[in-house]
Amino acid sequence: MSPREIIRKALEEGRTKLLEHEAIEVIKYYGASVADAYLAQSAREAADIADKMGYPVVLKIVSPDISHKSDVGGVILGLRSRFEVMDAYQKIIDNVSMKVPSAKIVGVLVQKMAEPGGLEVIIGGLRDNVFGPVVMFGLGGIFVEVLRDVSFRVAPVSIEDALEMMGEIKAAKILDGYRNVPPVHKESLAKIIVATAKLLEENPEIESLDLNPVLAYPDKAVVVDARIILRKG
Amino acid sequence: MAGENSINAFFNPRSVAIIGATPKEGKVGRVIVENFKRRFKGRIYPVNPKYNEILGLKCYPSVKNIPDTIDLAVIVVPAPIVPMVLRDCGEKGVKAAIIISGGFRETGTEEGRRLEEEVIRISREYGIRVIGPNCIGIYDNWSGVDTYFLPDYKMKRPPRGGISFISQSGAFASALLDWMAYNNIGVSRAISYGNKVDVDDVDLVEFLGRDDKTRLIIMYIEGLKDGRGRLFLEKIREVVKSKPVIVYKAGKTMRGSRAAASHTAALAGNYDIYRAAFKQAGVIEAESFDEIGDFAKVLLTQPLMRGNRVFIVTDAGGIGVMLTDALTREGFEIPVTPDDLKRELREVLPPHCIVENPIDLTGDADDERFKIVLEKVLPKPYVDAVVLGALPQIPGMTHKFIDYVVGVWEKYRKPLLVIDIGSEEAVKFKVELENKGIPVYESPERAARALKALYLYSKHVLRDNR
Repeated sequence: MSPREIIRKALEEGRTKLLEHEAIEVIKYYGASVADAYLAQSAREAADIADKMGYPVVLKIVSPDISHKSDVGGVILGLRSRFEVMDAYQKIIDNVSMKVPSAKIVGVLVQKMAEPGGLEVIIGGLRDNVFGPVVMFGLGGIFVEVLRDVSFRVAPVSIEDALEMMGEIKAAKILDGYRNVPPVHKESLAKIIVATAKLLEENPEIESLDLNPVLAYPDKAVVVDARIILRKG
Repeated sequence: MAGENSINAFFNPRSVAIIGATPKEGKVGRVIVENFKRRFKGRIYPVNPKYNEILGLKCYPSVKNIPDTIDLAVIVVPAPIVPMVLRDCGEKGVKAAIIISGGFRETGTEEGRRLEEEVIRISREYGIRVIGPNCIGIYDNWSGVDTYFLPDYKMKRPPRGGISFISQSGAFASALLDWMAYNNIGVSRAISYGNKVDVDDVDLVEFLGRDDKTRLIIMYIEGLKDGRGRLFLEKIREVVKSKPVIVYKAGKTMRGSRAAASHTAALAGNYDIYRAAFKQAGVIEAESFDEIGDFAKVLLTQPLMRGNRVFIVTDAGGIGVMLTDALTREGFEIPVTPDDLKRELREVLPPHCIVENPIDLTGDADDERFKIVLEKVLPKPYVDAVVLGALPQIPGMTHKFIDYVVGVWEKYRKPLLVIDIGSEEAVKFKVELENKGIPVYESPERAARALKALYLYSKHVLRDNR
């Protein structure tokens, strides 16, 4: 489905938040590299997907009624075999049915586990009343949550703008590597920022989005989790 | 989008109707008639059904009775009558109106909101461009349009010059104008737009950008209208290629009303987004009132700064150290004096002078020593700007210093700032230097911030014109 169709479907179903696999599909469409993820609707299907993408994988509940997936036992990490995947699938369905009996369950997302060693960053976007689409960049974890160390740009943005905004956060030096940690591949992050701006510009129904985390490596950057919020009405 | 000509009528009208004019002392409607009589070269028509004549000018009961075309209407009647007189203007064919009167949306009342909407409807119906309501309007130093209803003896009018400003706040605009008059800073045009039901920052910055009398624009912004941000950014980016824009953003600490369904929305304060937009547009942001003036004088007088290497020349060691700290903190490089320059300086300076950067001419220096050293330093390719720490208290310093410094500066045209601290004598030096185009600062920190503004502006312009 195209982003347009995904968004229309969500709005028709009265949802103002895209499901994770939908969000990932939208991001992918704009050329951002995303950790592979597919929706499974049975344990067998989950295992088949995992076999195809290779192990280890992570399983996550997909439901329009649940926003904090881990809190309800909806996420299981580090699954290394077909057997573990099938078992985890059932466990997730059981957990969620017990903790949130009213939740509508769409299925379970099977996603390749991210490679170790990535630096967590957050790339976001929102629609401002005055300036329209705006993008944000920051480092993940405490940098964003405690220090609010982020920078912004009004769309459209070029790769050069995106690189400049990455250099603006206080913790910018971390991107350049320190001690034994190699520098991250900034151009890959910049591409995701540019894609985020474009996505907001071309889809006026999108109110805001978080790509959180995006994992940055010395040679690439991968979106691991995406949340897309639509405007009501 | 209405063309620039509709905006031009506000600044260069051939005739003006002052609706709500009065002969009563202390009234807004009188001050405005006095203002126009003093400077305006076009035709002036007071309008008020109660009078036949005001201050020697024939007065009309309605704008419709005036036997002339009217380019600009200035409206100062009470809010409830504004829609009626605006409609009269429309029927008369007036295309530009400044509504000074308050009592509209800013009151927060239902009635105020209703009146404002009526004003908007009428202005659209007749195609009248409107500045205001609830504003003090325009001060134009060339045409003499002056709707600033503050009497001449309370708010001085500044001399003609290259600075124009746009202010959401009328009080701030008039205070700034008065302050500029007192400091002998030349002003081109000053506009305060109040509730901006029509003409807003975007229209004005575009007009001033094209105005060849305006060489620098200062803006005081509380908030832009919804949906206008992107156009604002694009227009300013164009303007900045030919003249600097300094913005003071008020309301930095106001909380956004954004519903935060995502991290990003929760993290984005309104001011964060304005800052990003300013940076993208190449606007220089002044963070305090002092900085507005500090930045304006350096941006107006100094050529572009092509790199970040600053040399300091001083007659006071302490000032040199303070300057080094202040400039370094702003990100400037204070390079070690290269050997070639050291040799040249050694040849012309007494042995006790210090030729490292800061170059210290010491307390026994005279004004000519500054000239000799500047002649060596300023033309060097590795010098992007020079800051002079020139304390006038030392015995060898006379007013010849001014011509010496200005002479060298005019020859090499590189950014040059002066620090000058002290009492009457220091103030005299400052005034003389500034009259000749050299900006003077009373503290190393303020000079460093001002130089940074010049550097950032230069960097933006040089990059965009690359």
